[in-house]
Amino acid sequence: MIKTFLKASVGALAISLTIGTAAMAEDSFKLGYLGGLTGYLAPYDQPSLDGVQFGVDEINAAGGIQGKMKIELLSRDMRSETAEAAVMAQELVSEGVNFLIVPCDVDPAIAAGQIAAAAGIPAMSSCASTPTLPGIVGEFMFSNYTADNLQAAALANHAIEQGHKNALVMLSKDTPYTQKLPEYFSQAFQAKGGTVAGVLEYKMGQQDFAVEVTKIKAITPAPDVIMTSAYEPDFPAFIKALRAAGVTAPVLGSDGIDSPTTMALGDVAEGVVFSNAGFVVEGSPLAKFYADFKAAKGKEPETVFVATGYDIIKLLDAAVGASGGKIDGKSLRDAVDGLENVNVSTGTMTFKGMNRVPLRTVALNKVTGGAKTFVKQVTLAPADVPPAQ
Amino acid sequence: MGFGTTLSRAVAVDAIPGALILAAIVALPCLALAALASGATLLTATNFLVMLVAVLGISIFSGNSGIMSFGNVAFMAIGAQVSASLTLPVAIKTANLPLLPGFIHALQLDLWSAAIIAMLVVTVLAYLSGLAITRMAVTSASIATLGFLIIVNSVIVGAQGFTRGSQAMYGVPKLVTLPIAVLLAVIAIAVARLYRESTAGLRLRAGRDNEAAARACGIDVAQQRLNAWVTGALLSGLAGVMFAHVLTVFSAKEFYFDLTFSLIAMLVVGGLASVTGAVAGAIVVTMLIEILRRLENGFALGPIEVPQFFGLTEIGLSLAILAILYSGQNGLLGFREIEAFLPAAWRVRRKAVALTAATTAHRGVEALQVAGVSKSYGGLRAVDNVSLTLRRGEIVGLIGPNGSGKTSLLGCIAGTHLPSSGRISMDTRDITGLPPQMIARLGLGRSFQTVRLFSNLRVRENVMAALAEAEPGFSLRQLAANSNAILAEMGIAQLAEQSAGTLAYGQQRRVEIARAIALAPAFLLLDEPTAGMNDAETAVILDILKRLVKDKNIGLLIVDHDMKLIMSLCDRILVLNKGLLIAAGSPLEIQESRDVQEAYLGRRHARRAGQIDRP
Repeated sequence: MIKTFLKASVGALAISLTIGTAAMAEDSFKLGYLGGLTGYLAPYDQPSLDGVQFGVDEINAAGGIQGKMKIELLSRDMRSETAEAAVMAQELVSEGVNFLIVPCDVDPAIAAGQIAAAAGIPAMSSCASTPTLPGIVGEFMFSNYTADNLQAAALANHAIEQGHKNALVMLSKDTPYTQKLPEYFSQAFQAKGGTVAGVLEYKMGQQDFAVEVTKIKAITPAPDVIMTSAYEPDFPAFIKALRAAGVTAPVLGSDGIDSPTTMALGDVAEGVVFSNAGFVVEGSPLAKFYADFKAAKGKEPETVFVATGYDIIKLLDAAVGASGGKIDGKSLRDAVDGLENVNVSTGTMTFKGMNRVPLRTVALNKVTGGAKTFVKQVTLAPADVPPAQ
Repeated sequence: MGFGTTLSRAVAVDAIPGALILAAIVALPCLALAALASGATLLTATNFLVMLVAVLGISIFSGNSGIMSFGNVAFMAIGAQVSASLTLPVAIKTANLPLLPGFIHALQLDLWSAAIIAMLVVTVLAYLSGLAITRMAVTSASIATLGFLIIVNSVIVGAQGFTRGSQAMYGVPKLVTLPIAVLLAVIAIAVARLYRESTAGLRLRAGRDNEAAARACGIDVAQQRLNAWVTGALLSGLAGVMFAHVLTVFSAKEFYFDLTFSLIAMLVVGGLASVTGAVAGAIVVTMLIEILRRLENGFALGPIEVPQFFGLTEIGLSLAILAILYSGQNGLLGFREIEAFLPAAWRVRRKAVALTAATTAHRGVEALQVAGVSKSYGGLRAVDNVSLTLRRGEIVGLIGPNGSGKTSLLGCIAGTHLPSSGRISMDTRDITGLPPQMIARLGLGRSFQTVRLFSNLRVRENVMAALAEAEPGFSLRQLAANSNAILAEMGIAQLAEQSAGTLAYGQQRRVEIARAIALAPAFLLLDEPTAGMNDAETAVILDILKRLVKDKNIGLLIVDHDMKLIMSLCDRILVLNKGLLIAAGSPLEIQESRDVQEAYLGRRHARRAGQIDRP
């Protein structure tokens, strides 16, 4: 959409390496959005921006934050390059943003977050799920999305409730997500009294899971449940091999497999339970969000990242309310850090006492007859969440 | 050979002014920014300098060898990982890299010590990997560098505990400021330029332009590639050190395909084969990105408001690269260095140096013996049990119909083909099966059937490349002076500055001969040196060859189809037909030989030719 009057003040046809600061109205809230809108981060940062943009439009139509402070959104594409993230974060800080949303991956989030933190401006990664991220940068850095340890804890609780006692965990050291999430699951599962029958390692993109499946079959007693954070193309290859070998143990997965590919797998995926940020239950706030979004944009959000991006605007609204209208860096930071049970589209979010990794509602979904069905929404107790490592 | 001589061979003194100008073009604006600008602009400039050093690392190897390297980013990864492991604060290091030995945990080094250690590690790995990579054929080597990138990435990811595995290294102290980056970039430009113009760079570029001809000049192409691989790796490692200490956060995936292709794009845009091209490419791409990304946010074009359009940068860059590739100019600069753009008055006059006497004369060697040499390709016998002797000071002609095995025989002698049986020796020294560059160094020069010049080098540089092998003790200026003299002997001194690929055919042939005699060989094999020349040109070559043989006491074996030339030039003539030596003797004997006529004309026509002679 043409909100160009906001951006036109920045870009010009001059071949210049300096950016002029735009003069803006006093009582407006400058929100910076820095994301990888092209490159490998695009599947995460683009929908997040869509959600943020929708939230900004919605709240400005009603008068702005707390009904009186309109949001000016400054969005930049760092092209999934960490060096570019640092440069653009510096530029946005120089333009006087009150809050900076940073990309969905650790490296650029750290690079951008450090720059915001040095300027005393709070930053939040729109959908990075590594729970160690805020701790690395410091007190001005927040997470937003359902962290890996949260999803793992929700899955572990579910496994225990289903009566599973002995779990087999499969992880890959190739990325933090595929390595850490299953490790957090092991921790949470064992903390609740379960045992881990074994931990298998695979290499992403390895295509053939015959070795892993053979090892699983060889374990005695056979594990009650198998958990992995593998996603396509590894997960489809794995589950097909697993079922073909006659292993019938239930499989638990995480939000990486929240995709049409999984639904299309047919019988082999039947009964797979996986966690994600939210399920569109009829009559829920998420359903309302999906409907509103469809009304405005013509189609439903394609991924849940749109919703979690939208949630950030809800958080900001609540934070400014809590700070009494103060939007200087420190006040805003303190306000966000103290948020409790904020109503967002995906459920509730709490930052208080959580070391800047929010406690969010986690949804559990099941593959039933080639469709995603709802199992339940989980609001964890902080004690259930394994510490970030 | 003293250090001074080595230095004067390595350091192309005449290239220093050009290198300094190039460095100034980069350094002065950046230093101005350091003083005047702030924040994001400083960061942009520093990032640019890091990319520049990285691009130069690739350029040293790929530009000079012609082998596209996808592996230099692996050296960046190693440089970053090792140096960051040494400069990290103790607490973070101990927590994040638990498997490192205790004494490394306790170390927190400054930038320079860490950089030096990192580059030592890079040198070792570059040497070991280079031993394999540089011995491969050009395309295989290129794929091997890709494999190297993947292997290094996998090792770093797999070594969790020593490294962060796939997770981020963070907390690296921000030790590289803009002035330091400028200094390192200037050093990188100097190293790249001086390498290119050194005798090592010259010989490597010769190997790039024509590998077989370079070997025939005695150049050990694999060794030169190894030199460039290690030198380029050092700059890449340095770029990695800079990267880590500018951004302060990185992970293994930063040093992988995306960065590799960004760097290669800069080289393609600017010109792979010149240092100025690498710098120009880095500047142009960076400026293009800086302009396009600001336009991405939407702008006003008079009354028209252009909306926000993400992706404009990628599209614009891709179009620019396509445009450059389509133009077929080898990038913006092609093979030119900055001297081509300086006004004539600025160009450094090459200081004239007196001629230095040649040291190699292969005095001891008297005769080249070919004994019972055969060469078979599968079932086909190209050379069948041929024996001959070539003495210094004599001219022997080798003739025969097309396909009779003349070129194969020359190849066996010169080492480009491996004889299936038989023995070739210089006096008592057996040279059968030795690689061509060794045979060349032992005193055998050759030219090829098709012209194989180093077409992207200047004419003088063609000769210098060969002379550099023959005279290890000569400085670059001495090489240049002596090369000019050799060109003068061939009557083409006025062509010295021209690019060899732009010459007329006859002139190219003369350059080839000049290059062959630069080796001061005892024996010279010429394969159809006057092919395609008219009578006048042929006469000139005739004179030159006669003079050379007499003055330098060379044993000349010449293959040609020009019977007039052969008959008037040669002392003896050998005739091959279908791989067999069917006749040997004086020109007169050969002319009258029935076997020779049959070979050329076929039996029926030979009989008729004989009949024509009868009244």
